[in-house]
Amino acid sequence: MIKTYRASAGIMLAPAVTLIGVFILLPMLLTIWLSFQDWSTQTPFSNASFIGFDNFREIFGPTSVGRDFKRALLNTAIYTALSVMLILPLSVVFGLMVHQRDVAGGTALRTVLFSTYMVPMIAVTLVWSKLYSPSEGPLNQVLGLAGIGPQLWLSSPRSALISIVVLNVWQQIGYFTVLAVAGLTQIPGSLYEAATLDGANRREQFRFITLPLLSRTLLFSAVIAIINAVQVFEPVALITQGGPVGSTNVLTYHIRRVGIERAQGGLGSAMAVMLMLALIVIVCALFAFANRKDDE
Amino acid sequence: MSAPGRSASSRLARKRLAGRGALLATLMLLVAVASAFPLLWMVLSSLKTPAETMQVPPVWIPRTPTLEAYEKVSGVINVGRSMWNSLVIATITTAGILVTSMMAGYAFAKHHFPGRSLLFSVLIATMFLPPIVTLIPLYRLVGSIGLNASLAGIIVPNLANAFGIFLMRQFIAGVPDDLIDAARMDGASELLILFKIVAPSVAPAIAALALFAFVYHWNSYLWPLTVLQGNAHEYPIVISLSRLLSYNRGALNTGLVMAGATLAVLPPLVLFVLLQRFFVDSIVGSAVKG
Repeated sequence: MIKTYRASAGIMLAPAVTLIGVFILLPMLLTIWLSFQDWSTQTPFSNASFIGFDNFREIFGPTSVGRDFKRALLNTAIYTALSVMLILPLSVVFGLMVHQRDVAGGTALRTVLFSTYMVPMIAVTLVWSKLYSPSEGPLNQVLGLAGIGPQLWLSSPRSALISIVVLNVWQQIGYFTVLAVAGLTQIPGSLYEAATLDGANRREQFRFITLPLLSRTLLFSAVIAIINAVQVFEPVALITQGGPVGSTNVLTYHIRRVGIERAQGGLGSAMAVMLMLALIVIVCALFAFANRKDDE
Repeated sequence: MSAPGRSASSRLARKRLAGRGALLATLMLLVAVASAFPLLWMVLSSLKTPAETMQVPPVWIPRTPTLEAYEKVSGVINVGRSMWNSLVIATITTAGILVTSMMAGYAFAKHHFPGRSLLFSVLIATMFLPPIVTLIPLYRLVGSIGLNASLAGIIVPNLANAFGIFLMRQFIAGVPDDLIDAARMDGASELLILFKIVAPSVAPAIAALALFAFVYHWNSYLWPLTVLQGNAHEYPIVISLSRLLSYNRGALNTGLVMAGATLAVLPPLVLFVLLQRFFVDSIVGSAVKG
């Protein structure tokens, strides 16, 4: 009987394992292999020729290929850091608003916040490109009411990247708020009651109960926020095309431009490998940091 | 509790609490307005006349709402065909994900076989892989099996994913073993057990996964754009829309762009409003149980 279950487990797993194997794991291995090859994306894999670490030397070298890649890497790092720094605190604040029972409307707020997460990024991009319009966009109009002069938003190299961060945070914050609420629900109410009896005020309760017990949720949120942040594509492809002067050239856009549009498959793959390595290092560092905190 | 000496201080405390409540309510309202504003403005602008979208200071609410912009969208892109393509992509992909995820989730939850946890870890790791990492070889791979520039090329690589397997395993693990063993005693096949006994008891999770998959693949942009290679006939709505932005640069096309955006937003948003409970439950399930 055990044997037939094993056979049926194989049948159950076959479709998913085959599909993920062929369309995710195999391409991932191919990306690593191609990063050591001279290969044009328009030719079969068999045309690739081994060139050792040349692709990596080039993407970190002094030529325009290297300059563009390093800029894209830096832009992506800044973009990711800004996203996480905005998303984590906002998700906790909004999560507390949704979770609390002193004032009605928490669930309604959750619905409003989460609804933006359903909106296709392309629609977000279209809408915000108009919201940000320096001449007749409503954002500058609202700022004008507060006596603040018109901003250039997406048209200035100084503010374009942060402007894209803002529209992404606006779209995704509902998801992270729901995660935060899930974490808050797990904290036993008896802890707060005991703290109140001991004379702890609200700020102390937040500092010594809420935040520590939310740390696992925040770790999970941080990982997801990082993975999401490196995927930003539509606003860059549609509005800024990486500009002005390279200020919004981020990795997903840049790798696609090099590897697909310019068909430099080897170079693009080397960049993709660097992205993968960077993510592995950062996520491992986050977990190590979280575990050390747990031990304390 | 109402000792006479404390009533004055408790009244003061209640007053302070009411003040904090008012402040909190105001903040919550501000957050809700900021969150809802872009979409409200999108719908309002889509109903304005071109003259109204150009006006400074801006007209917030259109005086004579008109569907002119929506007609113009149909002139620039093939709305019907694009919506149909999106529907085909999202529906078939979702159906595939449901079947593959339920089967694999059942195997991981209720079968014992060597290497189970290793295989599970490898599959789950792909959940954290940004699509751009595999995009270049995948593009070539799909081309080499003759699927590029077609809807099949968009759909086939997405018929299974780690999130679905993970979610199904989490929920199927909670189905009592006795229920499954009894059916096995009766000689039911594993597939029959999965679809007749296990599936009904995890129906909410299946609904959640279906909604997630549908919305995700309705909205997805990078892969369809790459694999279609400019074959506009097969464009899903989100890619067709990108042509609106370059049509008539500047404020002139605002109404047009907003009408197009509204069209693309409607299907996922309507699904969400109808079924948001499932969305939220499954996110909570995937985060907390993980």
